[in-house]
Amino acid sequence: MTILEGLTSGFLQSVSLDVLPYLFVGSMFGLIIGIIPGLSGHFAMAMAVTFLYTMEPAAGIAFILSAHATVSQGGGLTAILFSTPGTGQNAATLFDGPAMRDKGLAGVAVGAAMASCAFGAMFGALVLAALIPVLRQVVLFFGPPEIVMLAFLALTFVAVLGREDMIRSMIAALVGLLLAMIGLDNVTNTERFTMGILSLSDGLNLVPVILGLFAVAEMFDLWATGGSLARNSEGPLSAKETQRQIFEGVRLTIKNWWLVMRCSAIGTAIGLIPGLGSAAASFIAYGHAKQTSKDKESFGKGNVEGVIGPESANDAVEGGAVASTIAFGIPGSSSMAILLSGFFILGLETGPRMLNQNLDIVFVMIFTIIIGNLLGTIVGMFAVNPMSRATSIRAEVMVPVLTAIILTGAYAAERSMFDIGVAVFFGIVGYLMKRLNYSRAAMLIGFVLGFAVEKNLYLSLLLDGPWFFLQPIPAVLGLITLGFLVYNIWVVVRDRRARRRA
Amino acid sequence: MRRDFLKGIAASAALALGPGTAALAQDAAEFYKDNVIQWIVPYNPGGGYDEYSRAIAPYLEKYTGARVDIVNLPGAGGMKGANEIFNAPADGLTIGIINGSAMVTSQLSEIEGATYKIGEYSYLGRIVADLRVLVVGIQTPYMTFEDMQNASEEIVVGATGLGGSTYVDAVITGPAFGLRQKMVHGFDNSTDVRQAMLRGDVHAMWGSLGSAIQGVTDGDHRIVVQSDRVRSPLVPDVPSIFEFIEGRENAAEIGPIMDAWDALNAVGRPAAGPPGIPEDRLAFLRDAFRQALEDPEFAQMMTDAERELAYLPGEEMLKVAKAATELTPEVKDVIVKAIRGEI
Repeated sequence: MTILEGLTSGFLQSVSLDVLPYLFVGSMFGLIIGIIPGLSGHFAMAMAVTFLYTMEPAAGIAFILSAHATVSQGGGLTAILFSTPGTGQNAATLFDGPAMRDKGLAGVAVGAAMASCAFGAMFGALVLAALIPVLRQVVLFFGPPEIVMLAFLALTFVAVLGREDMIRSMIAALVGLLLAMIGLDNVTNTERFTMGILSLSDGLNLVPVILGLFAVAEMFDLWATGGSLARNSEGPLSAKETQRQIFEGVRLTIKNWWLVMRCSAIGTAIGLIPGLGSAAASFIAYGHAKQTSKDKESFGKGNVEGVIGPESANDAVEGGAVASTIAFGIPGSSSMAILLSGFFILGLETGPRMLNQNLDIVFVMIFTIIIGNLLGTIVGMFAVNPMSRATSIRAEVMVPVLTAIILTGAYAAERSMFDIGVAVFFGIVGYLMKRLNYSRAAMLIGFVLGFAVEKNLYLSLLLDGPWFFLQPIPAVLGLITLGFLVYNIWVVVRDRRARRRA
Repeated sequence: MRRDFLKGIAASAALALGPGTAALAQDAAEFYKDNVIQWIVPYNPGGGYDEYSRAIAPYLEKYTGARVDIVNLPGAGGMKGANEIFNAPADGLTIGIINGSAMVTSQLSEIEGATYKIGEYSYLGRIVADLRVLVVGIQTPYMTFEDMQNASEEIVVGATGLGGSTYVDAVITGPAFGLRQKMVHGFDNSTDVRQAMLRGDVHAMWGSLGSAIQGVTDGDHRIVVQSDRVRSPLVPDVPSIFEFIEGRENAAEIGPIMDAWDALNAVGRPAAGPPGIPEDRLAFLRDAFRQALEDPEFAQMMTDAERELAYLPGEEMLKVAKAATELTPEVKDVIVKAIRGEI
């Protein structure tokens, strides 16, 4: 099957009546799962996979992949309207999304988030399509030495995120790295910081930590201050005003097309690399958006670029993430492992056989990502109006209801009572950090990258010896990291001098 | 705590229903009809255990008349789920698949947190034994196991964590057959090792036949040796590692070790419930399980998916599980050292 045949056949199948209804149902299902805090794409896929037994391959693939693809859109809605990340990859949206809502610009934020998601997903899917002829080579490009250096580079984004208070951000990031060390050490098989608790031997799960740090902490804050979620606005926005704002959000996204492209590229690249994950992608994209913005000061106070960046990255991840699954049957994440078992159930082979004989299925996947996200965007925009009314409900009503939903989400991800405790614990930590002005983003970046850094550093040392970072690609990445750090330190010093002079 | 909670629910439910003993006297078939069986998978969705479970579930439903709910309970390398099954109420409504071989090794090395006894489960039967294969990357010069034994350079063997089967297999067989190997462990899982082998970072790895076979067809790697005494019909041209024992100087010494390793692999992936399931229900479950695995439709599906089956009845399975833990002190010493990463 040539690429052109595959493309035509894949497109015709995707829009045929045998597939499109499943695609629609899948994307709506994903959107709803995304809106519910704590339930992630992994969960959506695990539920969807049970329906595959009686489906045709194209319909089945469209169904489970669309359920996974739209999750971060639903999550973005929750993040902006309720200050609660719907899924882990929306945590970076929390810095500017809710701040915009408080300014009475919820519609703009949601419009921008939805449009960025759609563009990001399209970007990722198109990159995947373009890479098909060289997919296997591209996937194998990243070995332990490259991943270590990339993870280091990603860690330096802490410097950007916490520029206002470098020392506190460094402390937070290092605590995050330490948190990643909890659990059974892969290398020596010894338990670290588990305090004899069996539930900690696999380390802390990402979902309850994120829910705690951001969502539960927000509930504490809301409870303490009272009022309603939408703080400074008088009552909910009118339907007409919301509509106007949404289009304004879409317009702003298109206006910032270059930012969308760059953040989508970051997302796709991180999707290609196993083990970094979409939460890391959205934080790095946020850091990048802030670094390159002309108006750095307004980040965290409701800058639309702070919504566009992470939201375009977290959907662009999708295209990259499916690449290694298609090319070798090697899943890069737990969700992709489920996709792989979906292939198995549908009787599809991965690897060269898929790339040669079932190329139409690859294109069905590409079109599923694009069409699913478009559907999610349109429906998501309509969902804003009823949902945004809830944001003006008083705290006394809102806090118990949302807390119950959040804690259920923390439990549901792994069916673990222990994770509820983790969410509450990190809720307290998150609240204290917010009050004392420690960067929760820096801590989360440390946490999500800690494991990848440690594992790949160890493997690089074992495979290539102590000078592994002198190989060409790692060396270039190392130089970029150094340059980036030097530049940022210089900026900090310059600002301090300027302030002293002023 | 959670278990007590569940038991509490069970107890209060029994009280609410009135005469709890009446339920026991019920005919087993009637008991299962329209009831709900929880099938615990100790790993995340995706991956062999989950796939086998989801494939079997509809057929188990067909022959028990009950609904089968798959519950994924990942954690501690499959130990959390194995504990959960072992300590579940013995009413025959909570069963599941366990990673038998890994649970044996955890028990042998007295890993903390194991609250199960591998010899005490109520076994429904074995789904498949572990057929382990040694795989080498396509760009390596090794065509056969002899090539590896005579290799002039050090062979880099990739593995997951200490105590994982990719690691244990390599450190038991490597020294026994005189391979000059360098272990590189610390990968997340076996697919992670496979990617490193594709890149050429590692030369070889031990893995299950099920996950290795596709890569052979794709031309990603070669299988040089298999763990079964009798060559598997899926790979009839690959020699068994037991064919290499004879003629070795240390044959007498490694014979018992390889026997113990073989017993370990024989435990494979059994379906099991907690100890103490009422006789009639266990007999009914065993029978339904056998029928499910022997269902021609199911067998065809597994053949199409290149997934192996090696059914063993529940009673036999119990013997196999017990045999794997009863080792002579010398052999146990070697195996436990391998599991703990001390060799």
